[in-house]
Amino acid sequence: MTGKEKPALILIIDDEESIRDGCSQTLSKWGYQVITASDGDEGIRLAREKVPEMAFVDLKMPGMTGMQVMEILADIPDIVLIVITGYASIISAVEAMKKGAYDYLPKPFIPDQLRAVAQRGIEHRTLKIEAKKLREEKELFQKGFITFVSHEMRSPLVTVLQYIETIKMLAEGSMAPDMLEIIERCSVRLKNLEDLVSHWLDITRIEDGTFSTHKEPVDLKGVIAEAVDDLMPLCEKRGIAVETSVPQDLPTIMGDKDSLLRVLTNVIGNATKYTPSGGSITVKAAYDDYYVTVSIADTGTGIPPDKLPFIFEPFYRVKGKEERYRGSGLGLTFCKMIMDAHNGKIEVSSKEGEGTRFVLKFPR
Amino acid sequence: METKKKVLIIDDDNDFCIATKLILEKDGYEVFIAEDGRAGVEIAKSVSPDLAIVDMMMETWSEGFNVVAKLRGSDATKDIKLIMLSAVDLHGPYDEPSVPPEGAPRVDLVLAKPIKAPELIRYIGNLVGKSA
Repeated sequence: MTGKEKPALILIIDDEESIRDGCSQTLSKWGYQVITASDGDEGIRLAREKVPEMAFVDLKMPGMTGMQVMEILADIPDIVLIVITGYASIISAVEAMKKGAYDYLPKPFIPDQLRAVAQRGIEHRTLKIEAKKLREEKELFQKGFITFVSHEMRSPLVTVLQYIETIKMLAEGSMAPDMLEIIERCSVRLKNLEDLVSHWLDITRIEDGTFSTHKEPVDLKGVIAEAVDDLMPLCEKRGIAVETSVPQDLPTIMGDKDSLLRVLTNVIGNATKYTPSGGSITVKAAYDDYYVTVSIADTGTGIPPDKLPFIFEPFYRVKGKEERYRGSGLGLTFCKMIMDAHNGKIEVSSKEGEGTRFVLKFPR
Repeated sequence: METKKKVLIIDDDNDFCIATKLILEKDGYEVFIAEDGRAGVEIAKSVSPDLAIVDMMMETWSEGFNVVAKLRGSDATKDIKLIMLSAVDLHGPYDEPSVPPEGAPRVDLVLAKPIKAPELIRYIGNLVGKSA
């Protein structure tokens, strides 16, 4: 004890009056505050009311046993529990320590032993609290850092994109088409960079656990419809037909709706990138006793067999002559991570020149 | 004489303000700029805009919500149409700051930055109409 801090409060629960008095005297002399209880009920009541830093609990008491008392006291924040036990019951002391007691004190004991156990317990508690604080600070920092980067990296991008929008509008009709084309290209490249930042952040969050998929029943029918609706204008613009076939009675699955929507938007979005005008994309859902599956098939350029195993790797690109649209290189990595988080699978099969088919498989 | 509809942009990113101002002026609005929440509330009181565009994150993560609360909480400014803008991805469940605090006053529209010029103009036109 340094004397400057508030003295630690110690609770003694023992049915023997001599032990209670002895402990009180010894510990008070060393600067601790002491409260005592003669049985489990009283001890628990006192502990809840006064929230002591440490409690000594006699294992063998009439009524509630020390072990039961300990289990209940364990929910007092950061409490250090010490069991008092007769020599004959060292085994129960071991049992108690397995259940969360920090130390034990065999009877009979001398004041110095009591003092040593108390001091060690309080030190342990202080260290534990400091470690917890450090860990929380670190987590908070990491979380804050991600959000900070998100904002700091996106802000300038967003502003430049907004300026480009402004130029396009102000220049309407007065700018040469080739210059407008350059501006349009700038804006596409910047948009890619913006997507990259978003995807990178998503993945960082999944990896460090700040992204928690809170799971609830999800109606995949609705998610599919939403994803298709989202991409319909783009498909129409590119002259790609979209066909969906989803059974009305498709069972719900447990998952996170927003991230699943992003998976579907990603995979269907990919299909639009590699499917030529006049081609088609087919989204089908089906189920059996064990799985709900969603397949997304396109009639696009396909992926060469030797590239297929790598497409879920971060920043892997299928470099083909016909690659018209660059992505962030993280889209499919994100999809795979989300599917993993749902205990699901994402599978791909492809034939060059004929098309690619992704299958999302969810356990029922 | 034709009176122009007034739009106030409250955003700490000066470039964003200018870009948006130019778009809206071209479309016939009178545009005011405030570069922080406090100035935003002041200007809203003095010029009585028809609509305010409020950035969600300014000095703090949730300054935009404070501004909205102040505007909605005063008789002089409570009827101003409000669009909240955020550079934070609004589609994911990932960004806690994009979730309005419990009991936050409603805005008329939430949009993600950057916003395409024709879209912005259409949204604002729907909310307040063009010059009266």
